[in-house]
Amino acid sequence: MIVDGQAVRVRDGDTVLVAMRRAGLHLTNGGCLCLAGDCPHCLAAIDHVAYRRTCQVQARDSMVVESHPARGRLPPLESRGVRPSGTTRHMHCDVVVIGQGKAGQAAAREAGASGLEVLTLDTVDGQDVIGIYPGPLVVARTDRGTLHVRPRVEVVVATGAMEIQPAVPGNDLRGLVTRRATTRLARAGADLGRVVAIGPPPDDVPSARAQGALVKCEPRSDDPSRLGAVVMRREDGTEARVACDTASIALGLTPRDAILRLGRGMPVRGVGEVMGPATIPGPPIAGTVCPCLGVTVDDLSSVYARGFRDLELVKRATLAGTGPCQGAVCVPHLRGFLAHRGTPLQSPFTARPVTRALTLGEAASGAQHQATPRTGLDAEHRRLGARMDRLGGWWRPWTYGDDAAEYAAVREAVSICDVGTLGKLQVSGPDAVRLLEYLYPTRIATLAPGRLRYAVLLNERGYVIDDGLVGRESETRFTLTFTTGGATQAELWVRDWAEALAADVRILNRTWSQGAINVTGPRAKILLGRAGVVNPPDYLHHRVDEVAGVRCHIFRLSFTGEVSFELHHPVTESVALWRRLLDLGGDLGIRPHGLETLMRLRLEKGHVIVGQDTDFDSTPRRLGLDWAVRLDKPDFVGRQAIARTNRLPLDRQLVGLEIPDHTPPEGALVWMRTTYAGYVTSSTWSPALGKAVMLGWVRTSDGALPDEVTIDGRRARRVAAPFYDPEGVRARA
Amino acid sequence: MRALEPIVCTRVVATPAALDAVSWPMGAIVLRVAPDEALVTAEVTTATVPDPHAIVERETGFVAAWVESRRALELLEQFCTWELPHARPAFAQGAVAGLPVKLWFDADRVLILVPAPFATDFAERVP
Repeated sequence: MIVDGQAVRVRDGDTVLVAMRRAGLHLTNGGCLCLAGDCPHCLAAIDHVAYRRTCQVQARDSMVVESHPARGRLPPLESRGVRPSGTTRHMHCDVVVIGQGKAGQAAAREAGASGLEVLTLDTVDGQDVIGIYPGPLVVARTDRGTLHVRPRVEVVVATGAMEIQPAVPGNDLRGLVTRRATTRLARAGADLGRVVAIGPPPDDVPSARAQGALVKCEPRSDDPSRLGAVVMRREDGTEARVACDTASIALGLTPRDAILRLGRGMPVRGVGEVMGPATIPGPPIAGTVCPCLGVTVDDLSSVYARGFRDLELVKRATLAGTGPCQGAVCVPHLRGFLAHRGTPLQSPFTARPVTRALTLGEAASGAQHQATPRTGLDAEHRRLGARMDRLGGWWRPWTYGDDAAEYAAVREAVSICDVGTLGKLQVSGPDAVRLLEYLYPTRIATLAPGRLRYAVLLNERGYVIDDGLVGRESETRFTLTFTTGGATQAELWVRDWAEALAADVRILNRTWSQGAINVTGPRAKILLGRAGVVNPPDYLHHRVDEVAGVRCHIFRLSFTGEVSFELHHPVTESVALWRRLLDLGGDLGIRPHGLETLMRLRLEKGHVIVGQDTDFDSTPRRLGLDWAVRLDKPDFVGRQAIARTNRLPLDRQLVGLEIPDHTPPEGALVWMRTTYAGYVTSSTWSPALGKAVMLGWVRTSDGALPDEVTIDGRRARRVAAPFYDPEGVRARA
Repeated sequence: MRALEPIVCTRVVATPAALDAVSWPMGAIVLRVAPDEALVTAEVTTATVPDPHAIVERETGFVAAWVESRRALELLEQFCTWELPHARPAFAQGAVAGLPVKLWFDADRVLILVPAPFATDFAERVP
C-alpha cells in the first residue's frame, strides 16, 4: 500500500496501522495509539475517505493512505474519489452479541445453548457497530456495506474496557502507545526502540519501569515530533527524566460503554468489563485533554470559572467530546477534572448514534426515496415527447409540446388523455346502498343501474375531502371514482366507514390495475364508432363494451366541457388501446393532450379541483356545490354540520372571476379597494373566450359578494361559472 | 434479477368464510392478501366463490418474476427490512426497496409480484 506517497509492504492480517508501524512510519498526527479503535490518533484518509481508523482497517496492497493534518485541526471534508455507498443488509436473529472477547463469547455460547439464534459482531471481524436504535436495531458498518440487525430477544454488549490516555503536556508526540497496543505492535514486528513502562509493563516486551506519575512527555532533540523522554514525578515530589523511544502507557481502564448507553430503555444489557468500574484519573494539570478538538486544561479551567460545572455543559462550552472519538479519550479526564474540583462524580454524557464518523454514502445506504407510480402509458408518453411531471402523486404528461394544438383538438376535433390515475373502487354487497347513502350527501338509492352521478365526499365537519363519480352496476354493486391525489385517503375513508357501520360489503381498489383513457371532443362519438362502439352511453351513463378490441367500462361524463368518454380497461391493454385510438382518429384531427391543457379546459367549465380550489374548511355551500347535498336525506357523514353551518351567514365563497386582458398567477391576492378579500386558486387564459378566467375565494362584505375586485393590479369581474358553455349543451351532445 | 413480466391473476374479494371454502384451480398459487381478499395466479369464475356478492376480477395490475431461492434471499436481505418467513411455502407482503411487494416462497424459488405502477422503480432499485 502507499502511505503518504511511500510504499509499505503488507502482511496477511495486518491492519493499516500495524503495517505502517512495522515499516517505521508514523502518521503526521501524533498522540497515544490504542490500536483498539478508541482514540483518534490513527485517523487517516484511506482510499480518499477521511476519518478512517487505520488500526481497524485491514491493509490491502492497493490502498492509498494519507495522513490528516496535525492534531487539533480537522481534515478537509472534500474527497478526491467517489466511494460507492455500498449496500445495506438486513438480518434477524434472537440475540446479537457485540464484542467477541471472553465475555462476549461466553454470552454467545450461553444464548446458543438455550436454543436461541445468535449473531455476533466484532470489529476484529470487520463489523464496527455504530449505533443501537429503537427496535432495537443494531447498525454496523462492514467492508461490504452497512449491516442492520434486528434481534427478537436482546442485544448483549461485550465491548470491554479501554485504556485511559495520558493528559499531559507532550501527549501529542509520536511514540506514546497504550500498554495493550505496545504488546500488539511488538508481536507484529514493529521496532519500538527503548520502551519505558508507565504503570504495569506490557506483556512480552522488554521495558524499563518508570517510577512515579507521568507529568510530561518531551520530544527528541533531532525530531520534535517524536518522543524522546518522559518526565515522572515521584512521591517525594522530585522529578525524573527517563529517555525512551516508546512509552507504554497503563493508566487504568474505563468501560467502553458508548454502545451500551445507546441502548437505554431497550432490551440491551452489558456483560464483562463494559460493566466494570471506571478509573477516574487524577486531575489533568496541563496540556491537551481532548485531542480531537484541541481542548486544553486551560480551556476547561476557563469554562469552569464561568460556571460551567456540569459535564454536559462543559462539553457544549468547549466542544470536548464532540470529535471523531466521541469522548473516548477526554471523558475520563473531564470527569476527573470536575470531581477533583468538588462536584460529585458525573456520569458520562448522553450517548447518541452514530458513534463513528460515517460517509454521506454510508448514511444514505439503504435509504429509498418515495417512489412515484406510473400509469401503463408512462413509456408511451415519454416516447411521444411529453414533458412528464409528478402531479397528484403520479408521473403524468404535462404537455406534448404544443398546448395550443392540444387545446384545439379537444374543442374542435377529438383528443385523448391518460386519466388512469383516478381512484377506482368497486363496492359490492347487500349493504352497498346503505353504506354509500351514508358516505355521500347525494341520493344513491335512486340511482338506476347504468347511471352515473357526481358526488362530493364530506367529513364529519361537513367539509369537502374529495369528489368523483358514483356508478351503479346492479342493485348491489357500484363503481366509485375519486380524484388522483385523494384516492388513497378516499379508499381508507370508505373502508373505515364500512367497518364502523358494520356494512356487509366487499371493496376492491382497482386504481393500479385499471387504466383509463378519456376520449373527448366534438368528434369523440365518431371515433368511438370507428372503434366499434355503435351506440355509446348517454350523458352520465356507463356500460361495459368492446372498444377497438379492448373490453372497457365506458363512463360518459365531461370534465373538459366537450363530449367525453372515459374508457376504463385492464392496464396491460393501455398502450394498445391508446395507439388504436390515435390510428383510428388520424383523419379526425386527433392528438393527445396533457395536464396543462386539461387544467385549462376544466377551468373554463368552472370545475373545482379538490385540494387546489378547496381549503381544509370548504363546505359545499362555500364551493357553490349546494346542489350536490340532499339535506332531505335522513343522515350522511357531515349532515349535522352542514345543517348547522347553512344557518350561518355566508362569509366567503369560491367564485368565478374574469379579466379581459391579463392572466394573474394562481395564488394572486384579491382586493376589494384596499381591503384583502381573498385569493385566486386557479387561473388560465381561455382561448375560446378570449379572456382570463379564474376561480378564487372572495369574502362577503355586508352579506354580499362584491361584483368587482382588484387582482394583480387589474379590475376583475365576478361572474357565474361555468365560463364556457354554461348550459352544458356541448357535453351532452 | 430476471426481468419482471406482466402476470395475469384473478382478484377475489369475498367473505372470509367464502374464501376459505373455495376450491381453487389445480396448481394455482393463492395469495391471501387480506382475510376477505385473495390474489390467485389462475382464472377463477364467480361461480366457484360461494358468495353472491363476491367481486371476482381479472387482475392485470402486477408484474412478476420467479427467482431462485438463494438469489432471492440475497436480494431481499439487501432490500427488505422486515423478517421473511422461514416456513415453505409461505406468503409475505410489505416494502421491498421501499416499494409495495408481494412474495410467494416456494420450496426452491420465490415469486416476486410488484404493482405495475412501480415496475420501473423496482427494476431500477433491485438490480
